[in-house]
Amino acid sequence: MATIAGRGRPLAERARSLLRRTSNVGLFVYALALGAGLGLASADYATRGGYPFGGVVAGSWTAWPRAGAVGADPYTRAVNARRGEIPLGVGEGLLLTASQDADGRAIDAGCSYAVAGTTPPARAWTLTVAGRGPRPADAPLLREGFTSTEILREADGHFVIALAPEVQPGNWLPMPRASGPVRLALRLYDTPVAASAGTLDRSALPEIRRTGCRP
Amino acid sequence: MSRRGRLWLATACGLVLAGLVHIVVVLAIPSLSESDALSRARAGQGGEGGMRIFALATGDTPPAAEAWLPIPDPVVAVGLCPYDLTDGPLRVAARTGPLMMSVAVHGRRGAFYAVTDQAAVRGALDLVILTRRQFDEALANEDENEVSRDVRVVAPNTRGFVVVRVIADLPSQRAAANAAVQAVSCTVEGAGEDTKAGG
Repeated sequence: MATIAGRGRPLAERARSLLRRTSNVGLFVYALALGAGLGLASADYATRGGYPFGGVVAGSWTAWPRAGAVGADPYTRAVNARRGEIPLGVGEGLLLTASQDADGRAIDAGCSYAVAGTTPPARAWTLTVAGRGPRPADAPLLREGFTSTEILREADGHFVIALAPEVQPGNWLPMPRASGPVRLALRLYDTPVAASAGTLDRSALPEIRRTGCRP
Repeated sequence: MSRRGRLWLATACGLVLAGLVHIVVVLAIPSLSESDALSRARAGQGGEGGMRIFALATGDTPPAAEAWLPIPDPVVAVGLCPYDLTDGPLRVAARTGPLMMSVAVHGRRGAFYAVTDQAAVRGALDLVILTRRQFDEALANEDENEVSRDVRVVAPNTRGFVVVRVIADLPSQRAAANAAVQAVSCTVEGAGEDTKAGG
């Protein structure tokens, strides 16, 4: 609603000076322009980024169980259509995303993180990292993510992924770009969790801890 | 009415109009979009011969210009197969291999059916997607002595697409995953006759 007030005021000022000279026709055109402009701009804003509704928050992670379901809300369907995304159906798997670490700070490409823990039961899972916009052309593509088969585990079955700009021992996941915010995506394939995402517990998901930042 | 009152009225009308435009635009985006999965599937269909599937190769898929999450999974090979049930039921025949495979059927409003390779009978996964009318016809024409292994799925809309996903757990399996997606066949069959046996 802040955008409406911000946009409305200069328009209103202009319209008020115009009002002394124009008639009802001017007001009619003003109302039409306001409606069309605000309506299109807000619809574009709401469907441009991620899914606006339907997320189930568990710790740092947000699950999107209904993104590909028949009962998906119109905004989710519009986002999928605009991006050409083929969402995972309920029987196929579950998508979880994370943009914050365990302390609520945005995941930044300049910092190092440890993504540690276990995942909910699934036949296979992949954990990928991405930044906004196209990949820098000069940077070599080292690794975008890990699959459940590739990952090196501790003796008790837990895993630790080192998400860092510099080379790390163990499961090193390089930062996709030099700076800016990045996001993680955890996809669980063929999982019973998809049908009951509301009961997801944060202890069942890997924890994202910040281990240090570049000065 | 004073001038100021008229201005407020015009602003209020504009805001109401903005709300209406917002709702209409959001609802219209899926059917107007030219970059959605269904439109892309139709565009990529030409020149593929009888096979109406195209694979998004794993490994080297460059992300889209405005890519933010959810990005496509880099280790999953995806095949799309658009269907239009007015031509007849669609048969999706997949052979399962060592890699995990899932088949989802999307209608206009989202995925209404999904199955993984664990549901395969003797390594074969045969789906027949039909309308309610074609389903009734197929039931009526069925030979009771013949056991059908097809999974019959009634689609809510006549148009949609089938998505096949094969996961390559290791980089060395990527070629096999792409091949597994390419090996899935989507064929339109004459209503009511099951000529092509699965197995």
